[in-house]
This record gives sequence, C-alpha cells and structure tokens, in this order.
Amino acid sequence: MLQAPDLPSIFFYIIFHGLPITLILTAHGLIWGFLIGLLLALMRVYGTREIEWVAIAYEKVFRGIPLLVLIFLFAFGVPGLFWFIDPLYRTLAAVILSLALRSGAYQSQILRGAILSVNPGQQLAARALGMSRLQAFRYVVMPQALRMALPSWSNEYAVVIKDTTFASAVGIIEMLRVTFRVVANNPEMLFPPLVILAIIYLIFTYPITRFFGERQTQKLKDLGLGG
Amino acid sequence: MNGRGIAAIALIIGIVVGFSIGWFAPALLPPAPAPSLVAQIQARGSLYVGTSSDWPPFEIYNTTTDQYEGFDIDLCEMIAAHLGVTVTWFDMDFDALPAACIAGTIDMIAAAMFVTPERAEQLAHSVPYIRTNQVVVVKGNSTLTITDLEDLEGYTVGVQSGTVEDLDLTDLVDAGVGINLVRYARADIMLADLEAGGLDATYVDEPVFTVYSGIYFLKTIYTYPAPPTALFCRWENPDLLQEINIVILNAFADGTMDALIAQWFG
Repeated sequence: MLQAPDLPSIFFYIIFHGLPITLILTAHGLIWGFLIGLLLALMRVYGTREIEWVAIAYEKVFRGIPLLVLIFLFAFGVPGLFWFIDPLYRTLAAVILSLALRSGAYQSQILRGAILSVNPGQQLAARALGMSRLQAFRYVVMPQALRMALPSWSNEYAVVIKDTTFASAVGIIEMLRVTFRVVANNPEMLFPPLVILAIIYLIFTYPITRFFGERQTQKLKDLGLGG
Repeated sequence: MNGRGIAAIALIIGIVVGFSIGWFAPALLPPAPAPSLVAQIQARGSLYVGTSSDWPPFEIYNTTTDQYEGFDIDLCEMIAAHLGVTVTWFDMDFDALPAACIAGTIDMIAAAMFVTPERAEQLAHSVPYIRTNQVVVVKGNSTLTITDLEDLEGYTVGVQSGTVEDLDLTDLVDAGVGINLVRYARADIMLADLEAGGLDATYVDEPVFTVYSGIYFLKTIYTYPAPPTALFCRWENPDLLQEINIVILNAFADGTMDALIAQWFG
C-alpha cells in the first residue's frame, strides 16, 4: 500500500510489490540458463564436430533473436506450448523459458571460455593418475572452470535482472509495471518513480558485479588462475 | 565409413525424427479445450480478464488501496458475480491484449477497447456499453487550430500505439498526409511529452483528456465521435459472449449502467 506519493514511500512500494517477481525471474533465468549453457559448453569443448555444430547453431539462433520477440512468441505465439500449466502462470513460464534459452546461449560462451582456460596439462596429469575422463573433468577441470567463470557470470546476472523488465509487456507484475502503476496514480510526477526504479536496479547490479567482477578477478590472479 | 560419418548421419536422422515428432505432437497430446468456456470458468472459480491499467477512469490500479478501480473493473465484477466466480486481473500492455485473448491466456478483454471492423475479425465483441469522443489535445497556450485531421500535416502528433486514434492517423500518413506520428505505449508518458514540448498535439480518447486536464494546462481543438466501446472475447466461445451480453443488457434495463456511467464519468 502506497501511503503517500513521496520518494521513500515510492521506493519501498516498488521494492515490496515488484522485487520478489523480478528476483524469481532472474533466478530462474540464470539457473536454467546455466544448465543449458553448461550442456552447450560441454558439447562444444568435448563433443564431436557434428555435436559442436548443433551447439553453435543454438547459440547463433538465440543470440540473434531479441528477448521481447521470444517472450511474445512463447507467451502468445504458440498457444498450446504450456497447455499443462494453469493459464494464470503461462505467461510467467513463457518469460522464464525465454530468459533461460537466451541466457543459456550467452552462458555457454562464458563456461566454454572457462573450461578452455584450464591448462590441458592438468587433464593429462589427472588421466595419468588413473582418473577416468569424467573424473578428471569432475574433480580437476570443473572446480577451477566454475571459479574462473564467476566474474563474467556476474555480468550475465546483471544482464538478466535488467532484461526481466520485458516481462511487464505480457502482464507480469514486476518492478517496471509497479512503477508505471505508481505513475498512473500520480500523473503529475512521471520522472521521480522512474529514477527511483533506476536506482533500485543499480543497487541490485552494481555491488554484485563489483564484488564478483573486481574482487574475484583479483583473487583468481593471486591464485595464479585466469587473467 | 568411419565413426564420425555414422555419428553425423545418426545426428541428422535424430534431428529430422525429433522435429517431426515435435510437429505432430500438438495434434496428439493436449485434448481440445472443453466445449463450454463458462463451465471451465465456473470450475476454476475465476474469470481471467485482461486489462491495461493506465486508462482512468476506465481502469487504473489504485496504489493506495492496492485494488483495480474503474468503470470496466466494476462492469467485469458484475459479470463475474453473475457467473458466481471472482475476477483474476491480467495487467499488460494495451497492444498485447488481443494476442493474449486469442492465445487463451485470458478469457476476455476489458480495456475501453473500441469496436472496429479489423478487431471484429479477430475477436468477438459484446454489446457496446459506452460511446466516447476522440479529441485532438494541445497545450493550453497553443495557437494550433484545425478543422480536419488532415490539417495536422507538418506537425508532430502523439498517439497510443494500437488504439483507433493510431489507426486513423496511420491511414492518413499512408495516404500521403505528412503527419509526423509518434506512437507511445502509455498515455501518461505521451502527455508528459506533450507538456515537455516534444509534441505539437496528441490524439486521444476524451476521458483521458478529462483526467489529464486536471494536471496539465490543456485544451481540445478537434472532436470526433469514437467507435463504440465494448468488451471482447474469442469467437470460439459464444457462451461467454452471451453471458457478458446478458449482464450488460440487464444493467441497461435496470439503470445500473447509468449509475456506473454517472459514477465514473459524471
């Protein structure tokens, strides 16, 4: 409930009413996107040339389609797509699917780079110790690769949380939609709520990208990993 | 043939088979929706209504009471009460509403939507319940005067995208009239732009002008009767359309509609 249209009340109103959905969308987009991205990265690094083509084609397609187009496509373009879900949550599912498919295409690049940056000598050494290929990957390559992916991955988080604003177009009540509701109720002040929204997004992106992007990079450098 | 070749062929066959299954799966999997939408609505206990909550006094989300309010909102509550269910609101962009209704996400649209021949092809409309005006709005100190929409040639004019005003002016632009048309997703931003001097005029519904003339110094320079306003649902669900029409016609008969109009537009 918005008590009065002063700036602190608007700030907390947007946070309380919009932030949960924004964070749910971001988390789902990142987690499913991570699984898709990991699969694609493995396909590209360890797969045969044919499997690699499939992964590359996927990345090309989903990096080439604007997110809003994907959302409209999955929300309204393919009516039977989520027939097993209550209509109440179909648009939400469509948005999560779009965010995940798109984020997966980008995360695969991040993870592929991280896997390749682990010195191949370590893989050979692990094999020489009697580990299977899978064990070598699971216990030697993967732990290092995931750490090295963190800085770029925090960047992907910042992209996804900002892209959740597209969900407002198809009726998800996230922070942008809540902000516009405040504007519709107080038409005399259009810019203050939008500026407050911008500040909220900054609060939720900058500290994370700073911590992971800068401190984590420094930490990796101290360990002699990555760059 | 080496292993790689076999893998490639297997992959291609797999993709072809997979896509074919995907192509035919929709025909096999979900059963066709139950014949009666009204029965479905009553079974789930909720009527799914799409709206675009930036259009007072037709519909707005009141951030003080955290409730939807407005003429269309009250009308839909009456329909839901008639069906013995509650209303679940889907608040989205105005131009996304027809797609959402056709796709089946929402049962009906209540967004002060005008009946036009183009929309009637896509969606079924109820009995029209109100008729408003379309007005060309300028700043209060503007010297612009027009006798016809063609006179807007050479000026920058704002419209809300997907509205009848948008279609009317787009037709003029397509016919060669040199109007610099700017389309907005939301009326409030459009009027803020008019106030800031980014637009020479806007072409909007009269109720919107009424609301914003309380905030900005505005005047109308041209009035044109708008098409009738109605609720919309899918052609495939005449049963819901029938119930909607019963409620609207009863409201006209017993004076409830006039009371509603007086309450929101008085």
